[in-house]
Amino acid sequence: MSDLQVQDPPASAPKGGLVTALTAFPRNVWDSIFRHPLPDSDLGASQTSFSNFFLHIHPVKVHRNTLRPLYTMGLGVMSFAIFLLLTITGILLMFYYVPSTTQAYDRMLDLRGSVAFGTVLRNLHRWSAHAMVAVVFLHMCRVFLTGSYKRPREFNWVIGCVLLLLTLFASFTGYLLPWDQLAFWAITVGTSIAGYAPLVGKKIQFLLLGDQAVGQEALLRFYVLHVVVLPALITLLVAIHFWRIRKDGGLSRPAEADLQPDGKPLQVQIVQGNASGKQTFGLMGFVRGPFTKVGNTPDNSVYAWPNLLMAELFVFVVTVAALLLVSLFFNAPLEEPVNVLHPPNPAKAPWYFLGLQELVSYSAFWGGVGVPGIEVALLMLVPFIDRKVSGVGKWFAKERFLANTLFVTFALLNVIFIIIGTFFRGPNWAFVSPF
Amino acid sequence: MSENHHHDKPGNSRRSILSWFTGAALAGSAAISALANLVFLKPRATYGQPSRYSIGKPDDFPSGTRISLDSRRVCVVREGQKLAVISTICTHLGCTVGVSDTGFACPCHGSRYDQDGNVVGGPAPKSLAWYKVSLAPNGDLEVDTNLPVDQGTYYNL
Repeated sequence: MSDLQVQDPPASAPKGGLVTALTAFPRNVWDSIFRHPLPDSDLGASQTSFSNFFLHIHPVKVHRNTLRPLYTMGLGVMSFAIFLLLTITGILLMFYYVPSTTQAYDRMLDLRGSVAFGTVLRNLHRWSAHAMVAVVFLHMCRVFLTGSYKRPREFNWVIGCVLLLLTLFASFTGYLLPWDQLAFWAITVGTSIAGYAPLVGKKIQFLLLGDQAVGQEALLRFYVLHVVVLPALITLLVAIHFWRIRKDGGLSRPAEADLQPDGKPLQVQIVQGNASGKQTFGLMGFVRGPFTKVGNTPDNSVYAWPNLLMAELFVFVVTVAALLLVSLFFNAPLEEPVNVLHPPNPAKAPWYFLGLQELVSYSAFWGGVGVPGIEVALLMLVPFIDRKVSGVGKWFAKERFLANTLFVTFALLNVIFIIIGTFFRGPNWAFVSPF
Repeated sequence: MSENHHHDKPGNSRRSILSWFTGAALAGSAAISALANLVFLKPRATYGQPSRYSIGKPDDFPSGTRISLDSRRVCVVREGQKLAVISTICTHLGCTVGVSDTGFACPCHGSRYDQDGNVVGGPAPKSLAWYKVSLAPNGDLEVDTNLPVDQGTYYNL
């Protein structure tokens, strides 16, 4: 295993000469790019994972539990797939978009009318944004309900919470860009909510808008936030999020998953060193956790290539296919062009903010700042409040009945407020029956 | 090596003081840079509407008028020789309220106000603002949205 970095020369190494160089040219170029051929052995699988830039984010081996579809439901990979899709479609849309109050709406019409694939790209971007909010939220539910935020994964949970907030903010800033009625009034309402924050609220609102009211300055600011600042922050935090999964010992799993077939816990072999009393460790012994091991005892892990890779590819393809299908059949909404004089009645935010809007209709401060602030703070503090290490790695573990009940209640309350805001509110935000 | 070791003892050398100063200087520079960026992001001049503007001659608003000037987001009220300008920006979340027979109503979250702008229903936390009105030398009525006045403060023509 010591020669992992060293490339063995091919057995039929060409021996100079122009003709041989030419005939071997394609092969040589290929070998210079890909250090290893497609693996046909366990060692090959490890070397392929180690030496490829895109694969080395994976561990060489993953625990079988990681690959159980019903354990993770692939929600994390799904979020990342949607983020990639959003990045690609977003960059393409940027080629035709102008962040100007006089041009933005016309550009939307151009996308629909005269740009090849413009409609489907815009649909894909809009529906992916909706999907990302939903999937990131479901991913958080999965992590909570399996107790996966507990030690040593506390900080990755916090990063995940920040990523949820950034996802919402990215979606929010994207809403203004078409400069239609929904855009204008959603942003007017949203930035006014920010204005209710204590002490600095009005200053934040002014910084966000760049003016006293939503206008050209706000459009430009939201555009820069949407296409540069937020994607860069999300990319950085996603990288740390992924990196920490490995550093925190892989995905969470129940304690039984590490037992050997004979029912005994796995023993990591430590080789006793020389006479001075200092211990010498095998290289892999430094890797934390009971999972990577030295020796030939049977374990519960499988090679990441091809098992993990195929699972990820499957989730990725299904996600992209589903969103593409939706985008082919359903057009993204585009309302009337902005009319700063007449808000639509009722003026509704996108669905994932309607719960917030419903709360805000009771009290601007408590609905818009107080309650959401407490919710976010509690969410981030969860792993530092709940310190018991029991019930990790199992859905709805009995030991975690109280925590899970509290969380499900919290999630359901948010969903209920969203449903009320979406279906039960009519003109002047009066209660209406959808039936 | 042993000498270096001696100097590394905390609180026992110039080195620890210098380290402390260096750290403070770096942190201070970072803080000042961050502050400078914030100052940069705060516009000194805005391109939006001016806060002081003319709304026309007093004769444009006969007695009994309640007209919403949509582009200015204010409502002009005249009763006899008394005139006032009331903001139509909802104090809840900034939507434009509509002028109705009984007062004002907001389409966004259902705040309702009476004819003087007092909250009578909905989530609005305070009543609509009244702005200072004055007569410019050319005979135009002038409104200054930077100068709110007490409710019920009319301008006497």
